[in-house]
Amino acid sequence: MSGKVCSSSNSVIQAQKLVDQLRLEASMERIKISLTAADLVQYCQDHRRSDPLLTGISASSNPFKDKKTCVVL
Amino acid sequence: MRSPLIPEMATQEVQLNETLAHLKTESETLKTKLEEERAKLHDVELHQVAEKVEGLGQFVMKTRRTLKGHGNKVLCMDWCKDKRRIVSSSQDGKVIVWDAFTTNKEHAVTMPCTWVMACAYAPSGCAVACGGLDNKCSVYPLSLDKNENLAAKKKSVAMHTNYLSACSFTNSDMQILTSSGDGTCALWDVESGQLLQSFHGHAADVLCLDLAPSETGNTFVSGGCDKKANVWDMRSGQCIQSFETHESDINSVRYYPSGDAFASGSDDATCRLYDLRADREVAIYSKESIIFGVSSVDFSLSGRLLFGGYNDYTINVWDVLKGTRVSILFGHENRVSTLRVSPDGTAFCTGSWDHTLRIWA
Repeated sequence: MSGKVCSSSNSVIQAQKLVDQLRLEASMERIKISLTAADLVQYCQDHRRSDPLLTGISASSNPFKDKKTCVVL
Repeated sequence: MRSPLIPEMATQEVQLNETLAHLKTESETLKTKLEEERAKLHDVELHQVAEKVEGLGQFVMKTRRTLKGHGNKVLCMDWCKDKRRIVSSSQDGKVIVWDAFTTNKEHAVTMPCTWVMACAYAPSGCAVACGGLDNKCSVYPLSLDKNENLAAKKKSVAMHTNYLSACSFTNSDMQILTSSGDGTCALWDVESGQLLQSFHGHAADVLCLDLAPSETGNTFVSGGCDKKANVWDMRSGQCIQSFETHESDINSVRYYPSGDAFASGSDDATCRLYDLRADREVAIYSKESIIFGVSSVDFSLSGRLLFGGYNDYTINVWDVLKGTRVSILFGHENRVSTLRVSPDGTAFCTGSWDHTLRIWA
């Protein structure tokens, strides 16, 4: 088979794959941002109290924060 | 003498070219349709929905620990599920396991290659995986005996045809997901080294990956030098969603804790948030004054904060919902190359080209 025909048919195979992929992506069911964003906000709000970096936890509960040491005067 | 086959081949070629042209038209039409569909859902911005949310106050985050010991650039790190151990890998070929509370080194392995770009802790805490310029991902079981030679028990799991850029265990010690400079991602069985699934679709090096939180199912996201972030179905190998809004390489991707979105960090100096159900970008985290690339991103436990490690040596902390920067952290003396929040969210760790790792809280 001539090299030209071979590379043309490879291009066709690749182009077909791209079309199949795009068809798959286009067929997806999407939801409006006003709804999905509300869910993202809700998740943050629901979990904000259990987020140590957000609320800032005291040295006594955070193993990385050094507890205040006693100073001998 | 002309072969009688030539006229037939000429006809074949003409037909193929016609098919090709037809397919190209169809793909252009589909791309336009995709953009239209995505635009229809753009009825509001994330920060508008978040208007009523309370603003964040001042943050005081400091370096609480500095881990010194690597002889060259730190390229990657990962936390152990026990919330105190860390594995890190470096350009000097060393992989070190640290106790982040005490800063003690517990294990050290020297890899046969330099530029160990990827490392990960096994969910059990009993092994670490790593790789880089050797094009492989190897697993080292961690021994309780400090004198034991870890390199002796090394297991080669993944084989790519270019550098290993990232690796992650799935829900168990049994499977590893890898991404590579060869443009693919792959899922491997650790015990046998068998390739379970491969993921093709990126047009250039894949630089990062992140697994969806276990509750949301079998998907993962990858980012590459083709400026694309792809979401994959782990079972079928299919790319189910693709996002191309960054203007340069995507160095880091991380799922939002609910699994409904993911963030990305890029050489274009921006971080972005992509909503998976709306199938589009919903926020950009950027400032005119920030011109250096983002190497790594991670969320705080609630998803409200996004931490980004930058090539200008800083860490920028973003309010995910409002899109504003809440803090900028200084300390490293060279690029921040890797950043992960601890499993219980009490701290985050950064690794840098300045050879050190820092724990911030």
